[in-house]
Amino acid sequence: MDGSMNEDWQENARMIVESARAVVPADGALDRVRKARFDGAGFDRAVMQQAAELGWPLMWIGEEAGGLGLGLRETCALMEVLGRGLVPEPVLSTMMAGALLQEALPETVMTGEAVILTAWQDVTGALDWQGGAKGDLLIGTKVNLRGAVEADLFAIVTDAGLAVVPRSAEGLTIETAETLDGGTMDRLHMTGVAADFLPCARVEAVLQDATLAHSAYLLGLADRALEITLDYLRVRKQFDRPIGSFQSLQHRATEMKIQLELTRAAIAATARRFDTGADAATRAAGAARCKLRAAELAMLVAREAVQMHGAMGITDEADIGLFVRKAMTEANLFGSPRQQRRMLATRLDQEEAA
Amino acid sequence: MTALPDYNAMSDAEFRRTVRTFVETNYPDIPRYSLSRLHWDEVKPWYMVLSEHGWICPTWPREHGGMGLNAGKHLILIEEFERFGAARVNDIGPVMLGPLLLKHGTEAQKAHFLPRILSGEDVWAQGYSEPGAGSDLAAVRCEAVLDGEEWVINGQKTWCTLGMDANWIFILARTDKTVKKQAGISFLLVPMDAQGVTIRNIENLELEAEFCEVFFNDVRVPADHIVGRVNDGWSVAKALLGHERVFIGAPRLSAAALSRLKRIAQRAGAWDDPVFRDRYVALQCDVLDLSDLFETYVDRLRDGREIGADVAMLKIFQSELYQRISELMIQVAAEDAGLRHAPEGDRQLHAAATYLSARPTTIFGGSTEIMRNVLAKAVLELPS
Ligand SMILES: Cc1cc2nc3c(=O)[nH]c(=O)nc-3n(C[C@H](O)[C@H](O)[C@H](O)COP(=O)(O)OP(=O)(O)OC[C@H]3O[C@@H](n4cnc5c(N)ncnc54)[C@H](O)[C@@H]3O)c2cc1C
Repeated sequence: MDGSMNEDWQENARMIVESARAVVPADGALDRVRKARFDGAGFDRAVMQQAAELGWPLMWIGEEAGGLGLGLRETCALMEVLGRGLVPEPVLSTMMAGALLQEALPETVMTGEAVILTAWQDVTGALDWQGGAKGDLLIGTKVNLRGAVEADLFAIVTDAGLAVVPRSAEGLTIETAETLDGGTMDRLHMTGVAADFLPCARVEAVLQDATLAHSAYLLGLADRALEITLDYLRVRKQFDRPIGSFQSLQHRATEMKIQLELTRAAIAATARRFDTGADAATRAAGAARCKLRAAELAMLVAREAVQMHGAMGITDEADIGLFVRKAMTEANLFGSPRQQRRMLATRLDQEEAA
Repeated sequence: MTALPDYNAMSDAEFRRTVRTFVETNYPDIPRYSLSRLHWDEVKPWYMVLSEHGWICPTWPREHGGMGLNAGKHLILIEEFERFGAARVNDIGPVMLGPLLLKHGTEAQKAHFLPRILSGEDVWAQGYSEPGAGSDLAAVRCEAVLDGEEWVINGQKTWCTLGMDANWIFILARTDKTVKKQAGISFLLVPMDAQGVTIRNIENLELEAEFCEVFFNDVRVPADHIVGRVNDGWSVAKALLGHERVFIGAPRLSAAALSRLKRIAQRAGAWDDPVFRDRYVALQCDVLDLSDLFETYVDRLRDGREIGADVAMLKIFQSELYQRISELMIQVAAEDAGLRHAPEGDRQLHAAATYLSARPTTIFGGSTEIMRNVLAKAVLELPS
């Protein structure tokens, strides 16, 4: 992001996190999240309305364009809280639309009347976003949108520019599939949708921002799942002792903590670099590195949390299961660890060439 | 039913052909290759086919209605059923209770209960675990008090696999609170339709009700519904057949998962990626080496040698290997890892199904941690 040279980022972050309490209960209760599952798109429009009232879609819109102009440090602070609360609403996709469209973000999105999602990815398993435009029509497919069936508008990213189209647009169909966390993962099929393309030079930058922000969501998810597991290790007794007193479990809990702190440090440092003007190569590598570790962390904690909960961890009733299913659903978005490592591997040669 | 041939006298190849033909000819029109358990209403036709042919209890002696298979032949039967993708039946009666009654039951109990397992009239559930007694099974609190000619049972059992399908349950109940934990437990047989028995289904991570809680509220059963002597239930329950402890470490689950991983990788365009291949080959070697280790145990069974505590190695390695394969599936499947249902309707491609079905394998039947504790003490003889 170009913005947020703001020295007050900590104060901003504090305020944003505070405001997130409206969406994420302080006591960590997940009743709302549990109920929203497997019901249409798996998220609550009323919460998206609240998010709009809190200004979240404007997060990455510059102040000069009427936005909040906040940076990655503030964003990551917010995303971490959302991850802790397993918030299913597509807040990040909306922020991306704001970042891409800036002053062109539709008024109805700002007021919370309409939900906009960013459709960027061309195929599963790769980070390409250039497809989708032919002449002045949208033709092709965009994949892996969460909850598209409940969206009103799409910001469609192509190499011809950005197009904002309503869900009801002629020539646009949605193919929906249920996800483990109770939401959906949808494809947009576009067979000649008429569109005005707005030029946009910042797609890569916005994707990097989003990748970092998504890493913070996974960090929050893993942090809370580890807390729940540590609580369980303290209270669950077998052989007349808390199971947390067994050293084999203690060592593995410690390993999770180490991974968690590595992830937290990497995200904080990368967000600071993003906010204080890193070059394109540093940004690309930083986002990949954070996403890679955050995804591995989330899956490590998910796996160990189940094991340490015993049979309780295999149930849908225990909250820990919600974290496991969410981790499985979210860990590979914005590039699986495998893809991120491949991307970083190709950069090795570029570094040498430079 | 005509008398069964002496299968143990057949060559392995001949027996394998016999089993293959049997399953191909007789398997009813029900799902194959299911990663989750089928319920009784779905799997009953297969149970009944096996029952009618005298094949439902492969390890029971022939004079009790079994096939009388030795370990080597039993393994072939399991392999061929799995190759075909035959569904697992409600097998707690055939696999656990039957052998247990044969060893510890009275003549009257054998005469009454064994034929009912063979015919499919009785479907059994296992009621060992309780909310407070999992790894520490000897901590069971569900209580049974003798009142004249009846046991009066109060308490709770949990995690009973397919308990909602069962009409009988065997439980470990506390019958003496004054002695060492293990010494005050009895093994009781309880009809699920007895007054005071209620159940509550529990959904698992795949949102399927595969296990349940069972509550006992002043449940009365006749005094002779006990297996073994009063307060001797611990040793009765521990008498699981040696070869079941071997077979639980068989490499087939992992081998099958590995072939699914290959398909997922091919679909994701990862199959030719040298980095992926490096990890795939490492897993493949794990499967092959596990097979070799497994065979050494099968040889021991064939030779009639004792199976010791070291057999836990098989289960530990097998279950963790299965999980590692499933974890690589999740990475390779990329965004599709989050799908609730199989992509393209092809279950072989469903990474999440394998991942989730692999989770309990390190928890039930003795958790990996407990088994490592056992190995450290009983095999490595490390100090407490
Ligand atoms: C799918 C499934 C089906 C089941 N079916 C049945 C059934 O039909 N009938 C039945 O009776 N039971 C059944 N069970 C229950 C099973 O036997 C228990 O889950 C198992 O004994 C573990 O107990 P727990 O779940 O209470 O975990 P806990 O004992 O609470 O263990 C929690 C964690 O602590 C660890 N731990 C415990 N003690 C130690 C130690 N000393 N050192 C290190 N780590 C330790 C465990 O390994 C585990 O990781 C089933 C379980 C599952 C998951």
